[in-house]
Amino acid sequence: MIVCVAVVGHQNNPLYIQSFTEADDALKLHHIVHCSLDVVDERVNNPKKSGPTLNETFLGLLYPTENYKVYGYLTNTKVKFILVTTDLDVRDADVRNFFRKFHAAYVDAVSNPFHVPGKKITSRTFAERVSTIVKSFGLSSAS
Amino acid sequence: MVDPANTKLGRMLLDEITPAVMVLRTPLVEESCRKNGLSLIEMLTPFCNFINIDVPVRTANDQPYRLRKFKLRLFYSAEIRQPNIEVAKERLKQVITHAGDKDITDLCSDAPEIESLIATSEQDFVPSWFPVFNKELIDAVSFSEHEAFDHPVACLVAVSSRDKDPIDKFVDLFNTNQLPSLLNDGAMDPKILKYFLLVHDNQDGMLEKATGILTEMRNTFGANDCRLLCINSSTDDTEEHQENPWAYYKNNASNDQQFGCLLSVDDIEELRNTMQDFSSKHIIPQMELKIRLLNQQVSATRKGFRNQIKNLWWRKGKEDPPENPNSQVYTFSSTEYQIRVLGDYAFMLRDYELALSNYRLISTDYKLDKAWKHYAGVQEMMGLAYFMLDQSRKDAEYCMENAFITYSKLGSAGRRNATRCGIWWAEMLKARDQYKDAAGVYFRISGEEPLHSAVMLEQASYCYLLSTPNMLRKYGFHLVLSGDLYKECDQIKHAIRTYRSALSVFKGTTWSHIRDHVHFHIGKWYALLGMFDEAIKHVLEVLACGHQSEATQELFMRDFFRIIKETGKTFEVLRLQLPIINFPLTKVVFEDHRTYASPAAASIRENVWQSLEEDMVPSLSAVKTNWLESQPKVLPKKYKESNVCVSGVSPMRSMSWAFIGVRSRVVELRREGAEAIKVGVSFKNPLQIPLSVSNISLICEHSVEFEETESDANGSLIDNQNDKELRTVSISGDFSLETSLFTLSEVGISMRRGETILVQLTVTPKIEGILRIVGVRWKLSGSVVGICKFNSDIIRKRVAKGKRKPKQVKDNLHFLVIKSLPRLEGVIHDLPKTVYAGDLRRLTLELRNPSKISVKNLKMRVSHPRFLNLADQEVMDSEFPTCLRKQANSSKSCTEVDVARAANSIFMFPETTTISWEKPLMWPLWFRAAAAGSISLYITIYYEMEDGSMVITYRTLRMHYNLEVLPSLEVSFQTSPCPSRLQEFLVRMDVINRTSAETFQVHQLSCVGDQWDLALLQPVESVCPLEFLMAGQALSCFFKLKKRKTQGSAEDNISSLATSGRADVRLGDDDSRGLFDTTISPLLLFHHHEKVHQERLEKEHGSTVDFILLSESRSDSDAGLPRTKEVFSYHACHCRIASTSPIWWLINGPRSVRHDFSASFCEINLTMTLHNSSEVAVSVRVNTLDSTPLVSLVSSTASSVSGNELGWHDISNLSDLKVTSDVMGTRTGRVTLPPESVSPFIWSGSSSTRLNLDPLSSAEVPLQICVFSPGTFDLSNYTLQWNIVSSNDGGEENGSRVSSGTCQGHSYHITVLQKE
Repeated sequence: MIVCVAVVGHQNNPLYIQSFTEADDALKLHHIVHCSLDVVDERVNNPKKSGPTLNETFLGLLYPTENYKVYGYLTNTKVKFILVTTDLDVRDADVRNFFRKFHAAYVDAVSNPFHVPGKKITSRTFAERVSTIVKSFGLSSAS
Repeated sequence: MVDPANTKLGRMLLDEITPAVMVLRTPLVEESCRKNGLSLIEMLTPFCNFINIDVPVRTANDQPYRLRKFKLRLFYSAEIRQPNIEVAKERLKQVITHAGDKDITDLCSDAPEIESLIATSEQDFVPSWFPVFNKELIDAVSFSEHEAFDHPVACLVAVSSRDKDPIDKFVDLFNTNQLPSLLNDGAMDPKILKYFLLVHDNQDGMLEKATGILTEMRNTFGANDCRLLCINSSTDDTEEHQENPWAYYKNNASNDQQFGCLLSVDDIEELRNTMQDFSSKHIIPQMELKIRLLNQQVSATRKGFRNQIKNLWWRKGKEDPPENPNSQVYTFSSTEYQIRVLGDYAFMLRDYELALSNYRLISTDYKLDKAWKHYAGVQEMMGLAYFMLDQSRKDAEYCMENAFITYSKLGSAGRRNATRCGIWWAEMLKARDQYKDAAGVYFRISGEEPLHSAVMLEQASYCYLLSTPNMLRKYGFHLVLSGDLYKECDQIKHAIRTYRSALSVFKGTTWSHIRDHVHFHIGKWYALLGMFDEAIKHVLEVLACGHQSEATQELFMRDFFRIIKETGKTFEVLRLQLPIINFPLTKVVFEDHRTYASPAAASIRENVWQSLEEDMVPSLSAVKTNWLESQPKVLPKKYKESNVCVSGVSPMRSMSWAFIGVRSRVVELRREGAEAIKVGVSFKNPLQIPLSVSNISLICEHSVEFEETESDANGSLIDNQNDKELRTVSISGDFSLETSLFTLSEVGISMRRGETILVQLTVTPKIEGILRIVGVRWKLSGSVVGICKFNSDIIRKRVAKGKRKPKQVKDNLHFLVIKSLPRLEGVIHDLPKTVYAGDLRRLTLELRNPSKISVKNLKMRVSHPRFLNLADQEVMDSEFPTCLRKQANSSKSCTEVDVARAANSIFMFPETTTISWEKPLMWPLWFRAAAAGSISLYITIYYEMEDGSMVITYRTLRMHYNLEVLPSLEVSFQTSPCPSRLQEFLVRMDVINRTSAETFQVHQLSCVGDQWDLALLQPVESVCPLEFLMAGQALSCFFKLKKRKTQGSAEDNISSLATSGRADVRLGDDDSRGLFDTTISPLLLFHHHEKVHQERLEKEHGSTVDFILLSESRSDSDAGLPRTKEVFSYHACHCRIASTSPIWWLINGPRSVRHDFSASFCEINLTMTLHNSSEVAVSVRVNTLDSTPLVSLVSSTASSVSGNELGWHDISNLSDLKVTSDVMGTRTGRVTLPPESVSPFIWSGSSSTRLNLDPLSSAEVPLQICVFSPGTFDLSNYTLQWNIVSSNDGGEENGSRVSSGTCQGHSYHITVLQKE
């Protein structure tokens, strides 16, 4: 199950962070997302690995914590998408698929002329769309 | 790569993995040592550490090498056992607590910036007690039976010379069963090297006895293994040592006793020699010997292919490994133990190759035996050996990880070993700059024990900080985790320390959720420690947390107030963020020469007033010269300055105020109560919970200027400034609002969630001087006082915005307080809030002057003279509605004067009007609600001081009223020329009552001007049958309007006056009341304004006429008491009286003709009179048409209008009037002719006549028609085409006019009868 998705701006400022758990663990998820930015930076700035995957937006598994797996995705504008999930066996294809849909939703959200770039995404439509994507996560693979 | 031995881990290993020596001593030995404040071990320890022992060592291979550094570890026999877990835990806790207490001083200082932290080296910020803590952790697992390096290699037996039977004592000491369990239970070889030491205390004398005992010892134990140690040879206990060797080892003890005070230099030398001898002549050779011996054994039994096969087979055959891995399986005699000892000894003697080979050998055996603890221990040593050899890093790490995992799998038994292994592993990684991996290892070490985990997580966080690239976020995160664990263990100081470090990561970011959490907890923990200042500082950071959830906000607020409560005093907080003050909305209202009658007036924009006062207020420079001329010397200098300051143009001002540095505004103060300065501050509650804010007041500074030299006012200004001294009085500290200098107002508000409230605060100065508004203070929930300074941030913000000039902003809050001035108070009585349009009233303006100084030269200006006008004072005395009625002797002359005055729109009060103290001036005003809608009336009254010596010579009183005008009667006029007569018009008036409930009584219609006569077309009763016009009703009336002939025909004038009441027509049937006189002041005045107002709307050439409809309101309840009738007036101006055409015409001729058609057709001569009413010459062409598009034959009485039809109608449009023709019965006359047939008459003569008409002239055109049969004919089938002849035309003035047109003919009926 996906517990949290986040959009982080290119200055590492949180643009959108949404947890999908009942428990009051917002702070923990904030920390996890925040920490994962370190790994994103490391991945991006590491010249050794950037050769073949130069244009690859999907960053893969960032790091496994005790109970979570954190995946990352980096857009061309250096906006990061972070996915925190409790599923321990996640197929990469699923995550890629998820991020692709999520990216589309994000692009639509920021294309809104009333959205201020660099400010938090407050669009309700975006939130609804994200929650739909989150709900459908993993279902496509099963079918 | 540095030498592994010089790395931190290398030094640690050289310290830790060294030969252990068991020390046995008698109590008397200990007693002798205690005289120096040291135990025996403590006394010997400094001499067990050899920097350069320089001993040749030969281990398994024959190549000897020299050992440089060497160290012995001394333990009492009682200490040689596995430490108690609880005791170890307690020790660790002490270490941490102790370190925390030491750090308390740093807690108050600010946390360093993260950037500077990275730049500094590791030692500077990593707490120094980590190594101590790590060592304690490692020591906690010493003397384990599965490792040999902690097993004593020798035994030091010490007996005092004072002991009885010292030889027996030596034997007893070793033979007692108090020996460590390691020796007794067979974990290690009980046959170990013994070294016998006879301790002699020189203070006891009897050295001879000691030597005797030594000889005896040598005989008993062998000559080499015995030694005499003499101590305490110093006679007095004041022995000082240059470099106290014990200081390093016992630095944490109390310093009151000098260590080794009884030890002379010789004694110390002897101690050193003893230990040197012990280690180099006994321990090292013994270890060498044992290594060689064991190596031979191992080679014999295990080395070689044959032995390996055998070993493998043998181990395979060993079924069922022991259930309990901790049970003693490998005794000292077992091969496995011997190999392990061999490895450890080799390790201790730095022969890492040999050690590694043996460890490798044994590790497979342990693995096959599933002796996991032993296996892990060996793996661990293998990793260390690899590290010390600086060989394959991968192997080293693999071994360490393997060991760590294996230990971890053992569960609780292996956890502490795992911790030690992890610490070594992490150190190993750190030595190789693999900080990130080291952090991971530290993270893995942290287990269930919260305190250990906290320290480990903190160490991990520093590793993240040191790794390249810096992983700041992980640093922060692990610090937060660590802080939480510290808090769990009640190590609050450590918790604060970690959180503060973490704060440096989160401070600048937008991750407010985390930042708030960190700030909040730091604050809470500081409060637990009682450091409330710091606590509040941090909690304040999170107060304005509008982004948090409501529950979190409540939590924050609750804890904040709890902390505040615990402090027990009211705190003043400079940057309290609750509630937020919106700075740009702060508004300052004060009165200098401008005074306001009401707060509403003060809130009007300044430029509204300025435009209103433009012509009225004398120009500022003129004022200045005035008073300078009149009283140049008498004025105190201060006033001169302040006046200059008001003027804002003089160079003097810039000089004088450059000294003070601010421009001031002038505020005056009255003797009986100063005038207040009002400051509007807008507070915003960002939270979702309500806030209560009380005691909001301004903070002001008042400085009084002391002027010693008033006499030399004419001297140089600059000199005077230097004499000035300023005394600043601030009342920011106390709460007494009544000070001697000024009075402050206090306001309390309660704010709902997300609310913004504008609070108006006032300060009233009492003493002359300079008043400066510094800021605002408030009390949040009755416990915290917030202070906000205005000028610093306001100015900065506004200047940054660049919208206002900084100069203007700067003087915003500085005021020069001057002596009292008269200040008029004005009010308009009975001004209604809601009126119906047209309402005409008399109001009273009351001006009051509370000051003793009277004022003069009053002037007044109203923004909307359509609505409000100043009346004459006599009106005050007369009764209102009646005075409007026509008087017998109405003077016409005054009207012109009034109009002239109205045009000016500034109303001058008579010169003699002065308002003195407490004698109010009452003045009548005329009010008329001119138009429906909301209207804001601005009234400004200018006045001058009677006393010329005032700083401000004039002031203005500004009044502001809002009115709502409702629509009432709607009047429209339609005028058309009368077809039958020249210069006569028919006027149709439509009145609709647009109100919802009001009833009006139409009273009078007046026509303005002398040149008109107005008369009703019908008697009054038929026009207005109901007398009242109810809500929603409409009324139409018809009037005849006649242009009066020239003034010269006097008799004509008089006659018209007699019949129609000149230009006024009474519409009501109530004869008792007189008509209103439209030529006197209010009506005429307002009419003038109406005319001016409506002129813009209609641009029309030709003559126009203005009407005034007067009506009276009628209360709905007729039965009630007769209330005073309100008068309404409606003005319709510029009603056009003509069509667009400039020409008028009239056909003259006989109305009825009798003719004998049997004889011939009938010719009728007619005359058309044409009149040019325009100012230009017009060319007219008259076209007669034989075929008419519509010919209607009507009976001869067409002019009489049916009684059902009210008023006048254009006949040509009413074709159904034909039905009345039968009534007359004279003749059917109804010849319906098809349009194509020949008309019953034709125009004879020319069909088209053209003529030119000069301006305002008339001409006559003869016309003739031929009639062929009797009947009634309508001669309307002609047209007039007119053209304006532009003789001198510029074109531009005619641009808006119509230059040509065509008029249809009027109907003119002629009846032709058969002559009998």
